Amino acid sequence: MNAVVHAEGLVKAFGRAKALDGLDLTVEKGEVHGFLGPNGAGKTTTIRILLGQMRADGGRITLLGGDPWRDATELHRRLAYVPGDVTLWPSLTGGEVIDLLGRVRGGLDPERRADLLERFELDPRKKCRAYSKGNRQKVALVAAFASDVELLVLDEPTSGLDPLMEAVFNECVVREKRRGRTVLLSSHILSEVETLCDRVSIIRAGRTVESGTLADLRHLTRTSVTAELIGPADGLAALPGVHELTVDGARLRCQVDQDALTAVLGELARSGVRALTTQPPTLEELFLRHYQAAAR
Amino acid sequence: MTGTWSLIRLILRRDRVLLPLWIVISALLPASIAASTAGLYTDQAARDAFAAASMSNPAQLAMRGVIHEASVGGLTAWTLGSSLTLIGGLVSILLVLRHTRAEEEAGRRELLSSGVVGRHAPLAAALVVVPAANVLLGLLSVPGLVANGLPAGSSLLFGLSVAGGGCAFAAVAAVTAQLTASSGTARGLAIGVGGLMFALRAAADTGGVAWPAWLSPFGWVRLTRAYAGDRWWVLGLFVVFVAVLAAGAFALSVRRDVAGGLLPARQGPATGTLRGAFGLAGRLHRGTLAGFAIGFGLLGALLGVSARGLDTQLNTPQFRDLAAVLGGSGARVSDVFFSFVMYVLSQLVTGAALVSALRARGEEVAGRADLLLSTPVGRLRWALSHLAFALAGPALLLAVLGVAAGLAYDCDALRVAGATLAYLPAVWTVVGIATLAFGVLPGLAAAVSWTALGIFLVVDLLAEFRLASGVVLDVSPFVHVPALLLDGAGSPVAPLLALTAVAGALAVAGLALLRRRDLATA
Repeated sequence: MNAVVHAEGLVKAFGRAKALDGLDLTVEKGEVHGFLGPNGAGKTTTIRILLGQMRADGGRITLLGGDPWRDATELHRRLAYVPGDVTLWPSLTGGEVIDLLGRVRGGLDPERRADLLERFELDPRKKCRAYSKGNRQKVALVAAFASDVELLVLDEPTSGLDPLMEAVFNECVVREKRRGRTVLLSSHILSEVETLCDRVSIIRAGRTVESGTLADLRHLTRTSVTAELIGPADGLAALPGVHELTVDGARLRCQVDQDALTAVLGELARSGVRALTTQPPTLEELFLRHYQAAAR
Repeated sequence: MTGTWSLIRLILRRDRVLLPLWIVISALLPASIAASTAGLYTDQAARDAFAAASMSNPAQLAMRGVIHEASVGGLTAWTLGSSLTLIGGLVSILLVLRHTRAEEEAGRRELLSSGVVGRHAPLAAALVVVPAANVLLGLLSVPGLVANGLPAGSSLLFGLSVAGGGCAFAAVAAVTAQLTASSGTARGLAIGVGGLMFALRAAADTGGVAWPAWLSPFGWVRLTRAYAGDRWWVLGLFVVFVAVLAAGAFALSVRRDVAGGLLPARQGPATGTLRGAFGLAGRLHRGTLAGFAIGFGLLGALLGVSARGLDTQLNTPQFRDLAAVLGGSGARVSDVFFSFVMYVLSQLVTGAALVSALRARGEEVAGRADLLLSTPVGRLRWALSHLAFALAGPALLLAVLGVAAGLAYDCDALRVAGATLAYLPAVWTVVGIATLAFGVLPGLAAAVSWTALGIFLVVDLLAEFRLASGVVLDVSPFVHVPALLLDGAGSPVAPLLALTAVAGALAVAGLALLRRRDLATA
C-alpha cells in the first residue's frame, strides 16, 4: 500500500463525549490532502493520534507504514508538525527554537532556513514571549519547511497569518509538493483548502462525511450570488443549475451550481447590473447540501 | 479613567481567594505575636535580657533592625515590622504586576482596551485595590493588638506603618510595569528595588550609621517608632513616596504603546546551539535553579552567623538540659539548633525540587510538549530531561546551604554540608511522588505533590510537639533521616539507602505510566 496515512474506523472518547466516531482517512504519497471540518469536528484529535500523543480506543491507523503509538520516535524522524495553537518557550528566541527543532529532526538546510525567514519576514532574534500568534506560527512553519522530512502535518497553519503571509505559505506548500513531499493540511475554511489540495476529506462530529478530489465534491459546491439589477431578469429562473432564487424588487439572490455560472452571469449582464457579490459556499452550507443530497 | 470601577471588580473577582487570605493572615499575625511575647517574657527583666541578646546578634539586627523599646508592644513591632513589610511588599508587587503588565503581555489588556476602558484604567484599578488591601490589613490588625492590652494609638500607627510599606512597593511595581514588555523582567526589577531598600535599612542598623534607613520604606516602618514615642509624621514619607511614584507611573504609561515597554525588548541570538531535550531542559531550569542557589546560600550564611553567638548566649542550665535531651549529653546548643533548622530547610529545598519536578507537566499543559514530542524526542527522554534537574537540583541546593552555613559558622563546611545532604534521599522521595502523580494523574500532579509535602510538614510539626509517634510519624520521609550533627545519630547508610530505593521505585513507576497514557493539556 502506498498510503502515507491510513486510518479506518478510528474511535476516541473523552469520558462520555465521543471525539472520533468511526473516522476514515487516507493520504496518498506525494499529495496535498485537505482535512476539513468545523471546529470541534475531531481534526486535532485525529492529528494527535497520528503523532502518537494519544492512543485510539478503536479502529486501525498506520503512519508511514508503522504504528504511530508504538513506533513514534522512529516515525517522527520522517515528519514535521505545526500545531494549530503554537506555544513556544518564552525565554528562547525564534532562531533558537527553529534550530532546536531542526536539530532534533536531524538537521535543517541553512540556506532554506535563511530564505524562509526572509519570505515570512520573521525576526529570529526576538524572544518568543514577544511574538504574536502569527509570528509563533511562522517560527514553527520555518522549522517545518526547512527540515528534510517526507510528511508535513499542518494543523490550521494559517489561522494567525495575514493574507500576504498566507500567500507565502501557499507558495511554500506548492514547493514542498513539487519536491515530492506529502502534506496533510487541516482547516475549517474551504477556500483555503481548495487552492492547495489534491484531495479532501471532510469530517463532522468525528466521522468522515466525504472524501475525494475537489472535482468529486463539485456537486456540493454552489456559489451564492447577490445582485442589484437595472432591468428584470426573467430568464434566470428557467436556467438549469439555479437554486433558491428570491427576488425582492431590484435585489436578487440565488445559489448557482459551478457549471451554470457562465450562463447565469450572461443572463445578469443582459439585464444590466448595478452591484454584484458572489461568495463561495461556506463549510456549513456544504454540510447542509451534503445532508440534503443524502436525504433525497 | 473610564472603566476603572469595572476593572476593580474584575480584580476582586479574580483574587477573591488570595486577597482575603493574605489580609486575614497578615492581620492576625500581630495579635498572636503580641500574645506570645507577653507569655514568653513575663517581666521587664526577661524582656530586657531578650532585647540585649537580640541586639548583640548581627543577623537579628540585619533582619529586623534595632529594638526601640523592650515593652510587649515594642518587641511585637520589632518582630513584625520588617517581616510584614517583606510579605506585604512582595504580595503587592506580584499583585500589581499580575493585573497590569502580565495582562498586557497575555494580550488580554488589548481586548479590554478595545472596549470602553480608559488608557489609565488598568493601572488605576490595580493602584486602588492593592493599597486598599494593605490599609485594610493594617486597620484590621489594630483590634487584636488592643485586645492584648496595647495602646490603641500606637497600635493604629503600627498598622498604618505596615500598610505604608506594602503601598510603597505597590507603587514601585507600578513604575517597573511601565518599563519593560516582559512581566518577568518587571517583577525582577521591582523585587530588586525591594532588595536594595532592605539592604539600605540592614546596613544602617548593623553599621551604626543611621541615615541610609531614611531612604528606605523598610526603614520608615521602624522609624515611626510605634510603642516607642509614636512619630506619626513619618507616615507622610509613605504618602509622598507613593504619590510621586504613582504619578510617575501614569506619566510613563502615556509615553508608551500598549504591550510595549520604555526599555527596549532585549534581542537574543538569531541561531541556537541547543542540541536536544537535555539542552532545552538546561536552559529552562538554570535560571530558577541559580535563583534558588543564591537564596539558599544567603539563608545558610545568615543561619551560620546567627548560630555563632548561640553557644555563649544560650549558655543557661535550661538550654544545656534541652540540648542534652535532644542531642545527647555534651551536645553543643548550636549543633542542636543546626540540626533542627536543617530539618525545616530540607523541606524548603523540597519545595524548590517540586518546582523542577512539575515543570514537565507545565510544559505539557502549555502545549509546548506537543511540539517537542512530535519530533524524534521520545517521551521517556523528555521526562528524564526534566527529572534530572529535579534530582540534581536539590543536591546542589542542599550542598550550597550546608557549605554556606558551615563557612559562616565555624568553618567546618564539610560537616554541615554532610548533614544537609543527608536529606537528599528524603527530598527525592517527594520528587518520586510527584513523578508518579505526573504519570498516573497528570491533572492532579501539582495538587498531589504539594499536598504530600504539606502532610509531611504537619507530621513533622506534630512530632516536634510530641503529639504523634510510631506509625503516623513513619509516613514522613524526613523523619527517617538521622541528624548527623549530633553524636547520638545512628548509622545513616541503611535508612538513606532505603529512602533512595523508595524514591527510585516511585519515579520508575511514574515514568512507565507516563509512556502508557495520552498527553493531556487539562
